[in-house]
Amino acid sequence: MTISSIFLCGIVVTYVALADNYKDKYDEIKTERDSFKETAEDKTEQYNQKVVEKDALEKRLNSEINNLKIEINTLKSDLKVVEAQKMHEEKRASDMASVVETTTQTSKETTKLLMDREAQLTLAEAERIKLEAQLEDTSNTLLERLAIIQTLEKEKKQLLEEKAELQSRMEKLLQPTGKAPAPVVTVTPTTDIARLAPIVTKKIELRGLVTAVDTKNKMASISIGTADGVKEGMRFHVTRANKFICDILIIDTDAEEAVGVLELIEEQPRAGDTIATNL
Amino acid sequence: MSPNRRIRGGKVIAADNLYTVILGIAFGVVLATAVFVAYKCYFQYETIFNIP
Repeated sequence: MTISSIFLCGIVVTYVALADNYKDKYDEIKTERDSFKETAEDKTEQYNQKVVEKDALEKRLNSEINNLKIEINTLKSDLKVVEAQKMHEEKRASDMASVVETTTQTSKETTKLLMDREAQLTLAEAERIKLEAQLEDTSNTLLERLAIIQTLEKEKKQLLEEKAELQSRMEKLLQPTGKAPAPVVTVTPTTDIARLAPIVTKKIELRGLVTAVDTKNKMASISIGTADGVKEGMRFHVTRANKFICDILIIDTDAEEAVGVLELIEEQPRAGDTIATNL
Repeated sequence: MSPNRRIRGGKVIAADNLYTVILGIAFGVVLATAVFVAYKCYFQYETIFNIP
C-alpha cells in the first residue's frame, strides 16, 4: 500500500508537472478572441463605410452612365451626320478626282500645244531674225543705191548743163555759116516705156424675162432680182427672137424682181421679152 | 532499521521501526505531492480549491 501510494504520488506529480496551463491558454484565447472581436467590429464598420461609399459611388456612376448614354446617343447622331458628310465628301472627292484627271489631261494637251507653239515661235523668231538681217542688208543696199542715184542725178544735171552750154556755143559758131547742129543721137538704147496690161473681164450672163412695161414713163420690170445677182446700174438687153428691142438700165432692185429705165428703144418692149446682160 | 532482529517460529521478522520509516517516507511523499499539486494549482490558476 505504501509503494502503491508512492507510485500514485509519482503519477500525480508527473501528470501535474506535465499538465498544460489551461488558464494561460484561456487567457490567450480570450485575448485573441477580443482582438478578433475588435477586428470584426472594425471590419464591420469599414464594411458599412464601404457600403455607403459604394452606394454613393454607384449613384455617381449611374449618373455618369446616364450622362454617357446621352452622350453616346448624341455621338451616334453626330456619327450619322458625319457619315453622311463623309459620303458626300467622298462623292465630291471622286468628282473632283475626275475633274482633276480631266484638267490634268487638258493641261498635258495644253502643255504639248504650248511646246508646239513655243517651237513654232522659236522658228518664227529665227525667221524674224533672218528677215531682219535681210532687211538690214536690203536697207543698207537701198541706202547705197540712193546715194548712187543722188550722185548720178548730180552728174546728170552737170552733164545737162554742160550739154546746154556746148549747144549754145555750137549754135554761136555755126550760125554765121548758115548751119545748125543736128540732133544728137545717143549710142545707148533707150528703155521701153511702160504700157498698160490688157484688162481681163468676166461675163456676168444673167437672163430673165420682162414682166411689165410702162410705156408712158418708159419703165419696165424684169423677173430677176438681187437674189439672182442683179444690182442697181446694171444694163440688160431686151431681145425678141434674136432681134434687139431696147436696153433696160436698172434703177431699183428687189429680191425677186427689178425695175429699170428703157433706153435705145428700137421697138416697143412687151411682157415676155427676153432680157440678158450679154447678147 | 532496527538492529535487533526478531525470530518467530524460525523465521526472521523485521523490526517495527522499519515499517514506521516506510510509513513516514510514504507520508512525506504524499505530503510533498499534495504541496506540489497545491503549488502548481495556485501559481497556475491563482486558487487551490475553486474552479476559475
